[in-house]
Amino acid sequence: MKYSQLKATALATGCVLISAATAIGFASDRQAPAMRTINGRASLTQVPHAGISSSDTSSHGALSPTVPIQNAMTAVVSAQQGFPQEFRPPEDFYLRGSRARDSGGPHDFYFTRAIYSGYGYRRMGSWAIDFPKADRQFLWGLRRLTNIDAYEAENAVRLTDPGLRSFPFLYALEVGRMSLTEAEVEALRSYLLAGGFLMIDDFWGTYEWQNFEYEIRRVRPEHTIVELPMDHPLFNTFYSIDELLQVPSVRIARYGGVTWERDGYVPHVRGIFDDAGRLLVVINWNTDLGDAWEWAEDPYYPLPYSTFAYQLAVNTIIYALSH
Amino acid sequence: MSNSLFELLFKYSPYVFQQGRFVFSAAWPSMALAAVLLVAGLLAVVRYRKVGGKSGPVDRVVLASIRTLVLVILLFCLLQPALVVSVAVPQENFVGILIDNSQSMQIADRETLPRSEFVAQAFGAEGSELLDALSENFKLRFFSFSDVLERVDGVEPLIYAGNQTYLGMALDGARQELASVPLSGLVLLSDGADNALGGISDSIQSLRAASVPVFPVGLGVERFTRDIEISRIDVPRTVLAGSSVGVDVIIEHKGFGGSTVVLIVEDDSGIVSRQDVELPRQGDSTVVKATFTADEPGPRVFRVRIAPQEGEMVTQNNQRDVLVSVQDRADRILYYEGMPRHDVAFLRRALHEDHNLQLTVLQGTAENKFLRLDILDEDELFGGFPKSREELYEYRGLILGNVRVHLLTSDQQQMVVDFVSQRGGGLLMIGGHSSFAEGGYAGSPIAEVLPVVLPVAEEGATAHSATEIQIQPTLFGMTHPVIQLADTLEDSREHWRQLPPLTVVNQIFSVKPGATTLLVGTSESLPQPQIVLAHQRYGRGKALAFTPQDSWLWQMHHDIPLEDMTHETLWRQLLRWLVQDVPGQVELTTSRDRYAPGQSVRVTASVRDETYIEVNNSQVTARIISPAGLEEELPMDWSLDADGEYQAFFTPKELGFYEIHVGAHRNGDILGQETSHIEVADLSSEYFDAEMRAPLLQRIADETGGRFYTPDTVSALPEDIGHSEGGTTVLEVKDLWDMPILFIFLIVLIGVEWTYRKLRGLA
Repeated sequence: MKYSQLKATALATGCVLISAATAIGFASDRQAPAMRTINGRASLTQVPHAGISSSDTSSHGALSPTVPIQNAMTAVVSAQQGFPQEFRPPEDFYLRGSRARDSGGPHDFYFTRAIYSGYGYRRMGSWAIDFPKADRQFLWGLRRLTNIDAYEAENAVRLTDPGLRSFPFLYALEVGRMSLTEAEVEALRSYLLAGGFLMIDDFWGTYEWQNFEYEIRRVRPEHTIVELPMDHPLFNTFYSIDELLQVPSVRIARYGGVTWERDGYVPHVRGIFDDAGRLLVVINWNTDLGDAWEWAEDPYYPLPYSTFAYQLAVNTIIYALSH
Repeated sequence: MSNSLFELLFKYSPYVFQQGRFVFSAAWPSMALAAVLLVAGLLAVVRYRKVGGKSGPVDRVVLASIRTLVLVILLFCLLQPALVVSVAVPQENFVGILIDNSQSMQIADRETLPRSEFVAQAFGAEGSELLDALSENFKLRFFSFSDVLERVDGVEPLIYAGNQTYLGMALDGARQELASVPLSGLVLLSDGADNALGGISDSIQSLRAASVPVFPVGLGVERFTRDIEISRIDVPRTVLAGSSVGVDVIIEHKGFGGSTVVLIVEDDSGIVSRQDVELPRQGDSTVVKATFTADEPGPRVFRVRIAPQEGEMVTQNNQRDVLVSVQDRADRILYYEGMPRHDVAFLRRALHEDHNLQLTVLQGTAENKFLRLDILDEDELFGGFPKSREELYEYRGLILGNVRVHLLTSDQQQMVVDFVSQRGGGLLMIGGHSSFAEGGYAGSPIAEVLPVVLPVAEEGATAHSATEIQIQPTLFGMTHPVIQLADTLEDSREHWRQLPPLTVVNQIFSVKPGATTLLVGTSESLPQPQIVLAHQRYGRGKALAFTPQDSWLWQMHHDIPLEDMTHETLWRQLLRWLVQDVPGQVELTTSRDRYAPGQSVRVTASVRDETYIEVNNSQVTARIISPAGLEEELPMDWSLDADGEYQAFFTPKELGFYEIHVGAHRNGDILGQETSHIEVADLSSEYFDAEMRAPLLQRIADETGGRFYTPDTVSALPEDIGHSEGGTTVLEVKDLWDMPILFIFLIVLIGVEWTYRKLRGLA
């Protein structure tokens, strides 16, 4: 089933399905291993890395993301009733370039999606996969789960936009199709050197890795890409993540089967550090966090995937905001 | 009236009148004198009442008054007025002559001749009238003094090389030296420079008690015509290594108003700061702020100087040295951020390479959930913001960023206040939706500490919509070390002009009385300039307010070049300054930072416990390490004058840096320790404030019963000192009836009467 068909199905049955999801899915006991882990108070008060610790001082026990996510999804889908099936805004709609443009801003955090050049994928390019629903649904969760003053809507910015550096957190996906222009290479290099943080998501297998690696080496040729160990602070800034879950695309997730695509059998979280040891780029390879955010409200979408996707992204953002 | 004119009219010098007792020598009883005076007056009045002719009442009054005055003067003379004065018995008494042997006597301000030239002429030359006159009646004893007093046989051995002058010590020493002989007085030949710390009052009291008058002769001019002097330098005694150090240089000048001079700060490695200074046309004094970076840890001497200018009377006072103790320690700062935002990441990056600042972050990530960064152990901040003073006082600085006031309990709010006022810590509040008034701080105890006036706003009230402001330093801020973003003031000013705007959501337009504003922001949408950075002292500590919410834009903005260090520099300087003067549990001070060999050093330690309450029952020891490495351990005693204050004294002999290490214990537990340095050097303060200090010398004369002279008036000294009450004296009666002034008065009165009669046509 194509994404547009899935969306249409979801929209047509939205309210009913959400009710069902509330009654069955979210309220049920379908906890993923990672979920159970993070709900243990002991794990929340551990100090997994020298000099860093996340502590929960609430008297009523550990925080659970389940209820907030559920509430957030309900609101998102309700708001989604008016969405067209094919979201085709004008080309310049996303080009904000200024943090103060939104009425309540500037906020402390903007979930900023990179608009980059790449091989054609639909009308809007590969950068726009899952856009904007995934961004909005993730932001609903982020605002509910944390106290980050996050702008509630999507914020896509071209790499060459002079205002890009006003958004220190950047999200890019489907980078297997990325093909940066020289201007974009220079802009991204400048962004990262100035202090920006880039989160990569949703690309699979050797071929796409090689394409991404080629492009990112044009940006940062002097730095190597390394695997982030599970004791890295990123996995403990908010949730304690003990293992990496491979989040498949929505089609596989809903209907079962293998979770990988192409030859991307094992999920990885890799990073690029600068000379001072600052993490510049977090690379989520062989996994699709964006799909999990986008379909988190779907009662047929497995909860462990969306839970893990929210946890890893929340951790990544808090890490970026504090390191 | 000059002394010579006075003496011409009144026959004797003022000092004789001052010392003498007035009497009438005539044998007539006083009642008879009064009767004669009364009768003479009445006769004059009666006689003139009967005068008729052309004279009117006014004429009669005038003529009667004149005639009465003439009679009174005549009668005064007939009564034989006289002064009874003490007169020294010739060659029975001693006079001590104290000659200033310090460097300031070489200053050539006596018509291009040095001050010492007068000494040579008056007391060294053959046939000197002054020396002869004194020698005629007194036995002279010569002393030279600077930082020591020495007996000398004459003025020949004097080389005027002393680099300190202790007037009190010299007067005390001479008085004691001559205590066993009849002493008519001490003659003090000096410019009045006194470098002693204790003042001169005690010495004057001793001289008065011993009835030893002092006759100072002031050498030099009271005001230079052309001179530039670095009169004082205010500099922090202790800074962290790598800190930008701001010094206040007080420059005094005469005759150089409107001139531009170059102020240079240098150390062993060369020039560290250089700036042009235009000396004010109005007034003699100006304060210049100079900034430089102190990199190398340890005691460092910085020299501040202005090149000698043409026509300067004294060039040696164009430079001063200051000692700065550069410490390579890591000061801890707690940064409590109420929610995740970019400031934390960028601030931590800014301090990443600053090993002297250790930033510990407590960041609220959700309700009752915290992220702790750079903690020392697992227990640190485990329960969130510190709940005890001991825990909070571990830090020297505290940053509150976007923390609503309700996230702090009442006790925690009071702890923050005490952190500043009692512990002496530095508090900084950063702007944001949950800071200042928008965070509910108006009316809270913490608002009292902040240097800004918070508008009244309910906690949780919607913050103002963000306003972009262009930020500029204030006139004062421009020279503040925190604000310096470039090597020179002009470059720094230009750098500030080019910085992109930031945003504020906390509209603050005024600071409290006594607070200082360093940065302001302007915007067309604001009614008045926004306070951006302000600070004030509060108790023992200081509090700062930084109102923008997104200073990280000075790192990320696309107008900021990648190599630009504005964000890093500003935050490093700001936070270093925040904790610069924060005391530890043991606070060590010395009365000065530079001493001459042999000068006594007073070491004072203030000792407090973990909650910064003064401790009087601790064991405090000072370990003194000399430049040669010799160690001396001194027990420090509670001074009784103040709680928690302990003192010890030592006398350094070697030249170089002395390290002073103080440790305090109580019941076997270490309360704290502190290290400081002093420099022992051949200090020369002789050329500073080197104009002749006539007021001090006049005071010595007045309070001891002597008289103050200058080289122009010193000729009266031999006679005056002969009438002092010191030594072996006899009483002598000096007639006053033949004072020229009386005869002049008589002639004038008779002449006036004659002229009046002539003019009025009277007989």
